[in-house]
Amino acid sequence: MGLGLFDDVVAAHHPEIYRYLRRLTYRASEADDLAQETFLRAYRAWQGLAPDANVRAWLFAIATNLARNHFRAESRRRRAYVVAGERRAEADPAGPEEEHVFRETRALLDRVVAGLPLKQRLAFTLRKVHDLDYEAIGESLECSPESARAHVFQALKKIRVSLNGHELPAMEPTR
Amino acid sequence: MTPKHPSCRAIESDLVATATGEAGAAAARRVDEHARECPPCRAELGRYRAIDSIARGLRHDAPPPADVAASRSALQARLADLKSRVLTYGIVPSPLGNILVARSEHGVSLVEYLGEATTLAGSRLRELADVETVESSTEIARLRDELLDFLAGRRRELGWRLDLRLAGSDFRRAVLQAAVDVPYGAVTSYASIARRVGKPGAERAVAQALRWNPLPIVVPCHRIVGSSGKLTGYAGDKLGLKRRLLDVEGVRTTPAARDFRVAREVMYVRAGDDRAYCLPTCGDLPSHSLANLTLIASRAGVEALGLEPCSDCRPDLHPLAG
Repeated sequence: MGLGLFDDVVAAHHPEIYRYLRRLTYRASEADDLAQETFLRAYRAWQGLAPDANVRAWLFAIATNLARNHFRAESRRRRAYVVAGERRAEADPAGPEEEHVFRETRALLDRVVAGLPLKQRLAFTLRKVHDLDYEAIGESLECSPESARAHVFQALKKIRVSLNGHELPAMEPTR
Repeated sequence: MTPKHPSCRAIESDLVATATGEAGAAAARRVDEHARECPPCRAELGRYRAIDSIARGLRHDAPPPADVAASRSALQARLADLKSRVLTYGIVPSPLGNILVARSEHGVSLVEYLGEATTLAGSRLRELADVETVESSTEIARLRDELLDFLAGRRRELGWRLDLRLAGSDFRRAVLQAAVDVPYGAVTSYASIARRVGKPGAERAVAQALRWNPLPIVVPCHRIVGSSGKLTGYAGDKLGLKRRLLDVEGVRTTPAARDFRVAREVMYVRAGDDRAYCLPTCGDLPSHSLANLTLIASRAGVEALGLEPCSDCRPDLHPLAG
């Protein structure tokens, strides 16, 4: 595995890892720092990585690990929760009625997600936003795929409860 | 809250998975069939579907492209800095003891005799400031194989890209560069290297530079000896290794007072940068001192350099034994 190839890893995965961290953090500078640290760590470990490793899942695991350390201070997490919600609410302009319901629900959901216990929040984000499979999520959260799935379902149930009484856009069953 | 009907409880555990499309086909069919008959469960299924769909919509949220680009360029600057500081190393067991080989992104930067040691404790790698070390035997595997081939006499050149930054000064780097040019199976003197780097007379400084050679074997300082032909020293106190390396290359040595001497009577001689080579007994040679001579162990070595036989002593007609 040549050293040159790591630049390809950065090119392929930096935008998504940054987007992931940006969603999790309060300030852009925090996401910046965490993204940089993710890739610097990855670079140090790169040569020892198995040739058939899932590089994307591996990077998400490093980023998640760093984010968890970052959020370990509870006060910081609370701050992130409050402000992330405000920021997203501001970013959502009003539109036609149905669009409006959709956007409003999304902003609300975003706030609820930001307030979830960290593991559920991370599992939910990795699954729904980044479409990682449960095995990769388990790798990120240092738990089994079954636990990873349980975290996502717990998150969904809490979101469901938080949205109780809130109007949701109608969804036709797909089956 | 009214208790749930048993048929609702029966599908409860599969309801969320059905809404998110993650339930097995049979479970999903059971949930769908039940939901058709049960308005509250149907509504619940719908709500979960809505939540899942909105959640998936979050993936279209992207940070401003300018932020992504700024983050990326800051990362690249830090990566470039890290890359220049990281040394990847491996420890190679060899007939000369354990040998540490470390490389940077620019090339091989450190080769060190560790003796019996199998860790970095006591290694120069530990003492380097502002360097990060990463062990990787896979990354070093090719270098290891080539090094072992070289030490066994199966390979005459290593041809590795070198990173001479650990040399410490421009003068030392120039000395190492000049030492690299001493060919396989040949021997020259500290004085001749001093002359080559434009510092005639600086042979002690040359000897010091080679004593701290960060790349023994690869920068073949074992091919550099005293002007008298004595080995004089190697990597501190490892004169025995110098003899063994010379032996691998076909250069014979004989014991001398508290030292060893190159067996120059069985080696061809080249004066300075002459295009000719001579027998060691040639009367045309400028002096006996190795200060400006290179000794070459074999005809093959002479021919590899493209040298012509001296027209006085005719080494082509009177080849040396061995």
